[in-house]
Amino acid sequence: MTVTSGAAPTTPLEKQQASERLAEHPSHQIERNQPLAFEFNGKSYSAFAGDTIASALWASGVRMFGRSFKYHRPRGPFSFTPDDTNTMVRVDDEPNVRASSRLVKAGMVVHSQNSWPALNADLMSLTSFGSRLMPVGFYYKTFIRPKAMWPLYESVLRHVAGLGHVTPDHPDAYFDQQYHFADVLVIGGGPAGMSAALSAAERGARVLLLEESPFLGGHLLYSRHSVESAGGAVEPYLLAGQLAQQVQNQPNIQVEVNTHAFGIYDHQWVGAVKNDRRLLKIRTKALVIANGAYERPLLFENSDLPGVLLGSAAQRLLHLYAVKPGERAVVLSANDDGLQVALDLQAAGVTVVTVAELRNAPNPSLTAKLQSLGIPVSPNYTVTAVQGSNTVSRVMLAPVTPDVQTVVKPESVTHEAVTCDLLVVSVGWTAATALLYQAKAAFAYDERRAELLPAKLPARVHAAGRVTGSHRLETQLLEGQLAGLNAAAAAGLGSPAPDSLASQVAALKEAEPIRNAPAVYVDGSKKAFISFDEDVTIQDLRDAVAEGYSSMELLKRYSTLSMGPSQGKYENANTMALCAEANHQGIAESGATTSRQPLSPIPLGALAGRPMEPVKYTAMHTWHIAQSAKMMNVGVWKRPEHYGDPLREVSATRAGVGLIDVSTLGKILLRGKDVPKVLERLYTNKWSGLQPGRARYGLMCNEEGIVVDDGVAARLDDDTWYMSTTTSGATSVYEGIEWNLQSGWNYQVHVAYMTDTFAAMNLTGPSAREMLQPLTDIDLSNDAFPYMGARRGLVAGVPSILLRIGFTGELGYEMHVPVGYGLYLWETLMAAGRDYGIVAFGVEAQRVMRLEKGHIIVSQDTDGLTNPFMADLDWAVKMDKPDFTGKPALVRAAQHGVSQKLVGYKMLDANLVPEEANQIVRPNPDWPIGLEIIGRITSARYSPTLKQSIGLCWLPVEQSAIDSEFTVRIRGELHKGKVVSLPFYDAEGKRLKS
Amino acid sequence: MLILTCPNCGERNITEFRFGGEIKRNSPKPEDGASDALLLANLYLKENRLGVQKEWWYHRAGCGIWFIAERHTKTQVVEQTYLWEPQP
Repeated sequence: MTVTSGAAPTTPLEKQQASERLAEHPSHQIERNQPLAFEFNGKSYSAFAGDTIASALWASGVRMFGRSFKYHRPRGPFSFTPDDTNTMVRVDDEPNVRASSRLVKAGMVVHSQNSWPALNADLMSLTSFGSRLMPVGFYYKTFIRPKAMWPLYESVLRHVAGLGHVTPDHPDAYFDQQYHFADVLVIGGGPAGMSAALSAAERGARVLLLEESPFLGGHLLYSRHSVESAGGAVEPYLLAGQLAQQVQNQPNIQVEVNTHAFGIYDHQWVGAVKNDRRLLKIRTKALVIANGAYERPLLFENSDLPGVLLGSAAQRLLHLYAVKPGERAVVLSANDDGLQVALDLQAAGVTVVTVAELRNAPNPSLTAKLQSLGIPVSPNYTVTAVQGSNTVSRVMLAPVTPDVQTVVKPESVTHEAVTCDLLVVSVGWTAATALLYQAKAAFAYDERRAELLPAKLPARVHAAGRVTGSHRLETQLLEGQLAGLNAAAAAGLGSPAPDSLASQVAALKEAEPIRNAPAVYVDGSKKAFISFDEDVTIQDLRDAVAEGYSSMELLKRYSTLSMGPSQGKYENANTMALCAEANHQGIAESGATTSRQPLSPIPLGALAGRPMEPVKYTAMHTWHIAQSAKMMNVGVWKRPEHYGDPLREVSATRAGVGLIDVSTLGKILLRGKDVPKVLERLYTNKWSGLQPGRARYGLMCNEEGIVVDDGVAARLDDDTWYMSTTTSGATSVYEGIEWNLQSGWNYQVHVAYMTDTFAAMNLTGPSAREMLQPLTDIDLSNDAFPYMGARRGLVAGVPSILLRIGFTGELGYEMHVPVGYGLYLWETLMAAGRDYGIVAFGVEAQRVMRLEKGHIIVSQDTDGLTNPFMADLDWAVKMDKPDFTGKPALVRAAQHGVSQKLVGYKMLDANLVPEEANQIVRPNPDWPIGLEIIGRITSARYSPTLKQSIGLCWLPVEQSAIDSEFTVRIRGELHKGKVVSLPFYDAEGKRLKS
Repeated sequence: MLILTCPNCGERNITEFRFGGEIKRNSPKPEDGASDALLLANLYLKENRLGVQKEWWYHRAGCGIWFIAERHTKTQVVEQTYLWEPQP
């Protein structure tokens, strides 16, 4: 009956490590001519290609795969689906790999998680003795006092909490993302899903079919339960093969296996992950959800012990991986599936000692068959407990009264002990409704079937198979066909399915036998775990409800039920039933919880994809790099911070001439007769009177009267205006202009966004005029081109806009040229300036120079609460204008006055420079550490021009008078500063206007 | 992952657009000297409707037009999208 790989093992070690398999069968997914070796916890094991880590280890006799989260109880596979959370292992350096879904590769090094120092000798399992100190929600009640212990609590809990370990020297892995578009997306490659895909494809739909396991076929490959009603005439695995072949032959069906859909989002956008590596972003016109059902556990004492398997788990082992699940088995059944599993086990050579049947009258023909094979079937019997140290060694059975809703207390009945190494439990099914929930389906609790099923689906969403409660093959295939035709129709291909098909399916669904046991638990047990992920027991749930967390949403959050890696897939049905019972309500009334994306764990790498960071370079970038400039990020731009010595750049510019690349500034060209009206409404100041050839500083506020941007706007000729904004404000100012124009202002203007179209550079310093005049025909003399003028002409042969403005406070000309000429003009200027000692200067030098002139930087010196009056910008706000953005709020602000002001300061210690955002404080015993925060430093630099630490800061208005002193806290120490008038340098602006 | 129909460009992913705020029913623009209550309501209080909401969208990564969408805030069904027109 069994076939071994290699020589027959004789020693216990060899027996343990050899992998014995059942005789070959076409439904097996393993390749016997491809043996592999891998390691688990330091020992070598054998496997075949096609084995999962879990199936290979089970075949070699390993039962305990890990330890549970809270109590460190021994745990092993129980469903052999990807949701066997307690079997998460580390594979090479990848933590939290699900052993039941990851295929074995030669040379894999696998380790268990969450045990120390070893899986078999886990010291952390001592926490199970402290279970009385760790009731449900204990972390809300403990580790609170004394506060001084928090750092210790944190460091201990950090080591104890969590599963898996991330290694910092993990090599880079490759993740990518892929976009798919489909007419019909089918989630689930079982009989219902394949049937839907084929029907939709026949109507001409482009179909994408996703399947979580490596093969199509679903439950047909390992279970007979859907075909038993057909009298066993059809071999389910053969049918699976036929359907899969048809699907592969159909050219407009694309199949993606090893792909699990983790979420459904708006407008039929679906996220999925393939091979734990590739993120699929799928947009489909219609959805068919056919992702099946989970088998439901019965709760009894120690039901979490390794060696307790779901019926479908035993069948997966037998029929997919050719592994004998055990030697001596007890089967607990409450439906025909369970009886069928007992027959499967017997046929594979497992000694089935007895079948305990929860039902009063189990299927007579299956019962007779079992009895003829010498297997007793006992109706009205249940398992009350399982015993063993790290794996099942004994099962306790007891009788129950017929058709009970809960199971009687174990102490009131006589128990029989049965020695065995395997307990197989098959008591019911839970539809895998999470995806349908996300697709906004409405649900109803079917009392008769004891199952929560979809009742109403939104447009474009269809469902078929076990997810709608259809367990018979005939129903699954026809329901799949119905869903496929309707989905294709929803995608605009063909007409919907005929009513006759819909009625046929409805009638079949009505006739589905009941598969769920009404009972969910054996009463009175403390160690009956509802959640294997989070170690939550029945008693914990009852305690939580008794504490007042009785609604499902509260209960879930307080107890952490359904919040583990499996997201409650094997917990939700039992949680719903127990919560309803604790509240003395029906399940329909008590309700279910929401289902959120993702449904299964996704590696962060899959979400990150391949890193892509867009960067913008100015036209002069290569020059800056060649000069070894230290570059900085300003938004997505790269700008030179300095070229080695920013203070030298300041001094050289103020003494001679300097050149800075300001290409990143926002630039907007406006044309039309209504432009002044636009500017008047956008800015707080006046524009109508501005003559051609003149420029003006503009201040922009939002509807709340808060300063949001500033810049210079120039009138180039009667109808042409040129506006500049801050680098970071460029796009939002442009968006705001467009919004105003398109949403009601309705003016005759054309607006062009020129930020990337023009390069810009500012030539500034006392020698600027002398240096520049030979390069241009524009008369640069002070009378012809005064301060705040704007001209157009050729500079070094390049068409340029020239603005005479003064952010740095020296004589200066800002040149805006088409971006293709930027580098040429820059190099020409640098060459022409050699005789004048020209220096290139960067953002840092500019910051120092503007600070010396007391110029604010919006959103550095101002914040989300700053109105113009607080920053001494009253002069820029023309309240006599009829309407401008923010006027009503500014009228109010003017009436209420200011409580804080932005002022200039000097530190009393001329060489001490505070850090920007240091707090300004005054003594106040009511505050922690006795200091009240009354302001802050927003800008701070050492001025080489004044040989003095200067800056801007916020102070309460009553302390903002010139010469007032204040205290600033720098790295814990207190230092004094003094308010001074602005600007610090060249107060009359003589140098600027020269 | 909504799909919005730009009046200019047609159906596009929501990632191409920027939300521009709800358009409230009965929202008079406050005059100068408006009461605090009116100013507050206008600037800070949202209607936050459950139902079909009118709202601004900007086709940031496309043609750059601003348009109005009527979207049901619960079902996410977008009933229509259109450019602003001056009221007669």
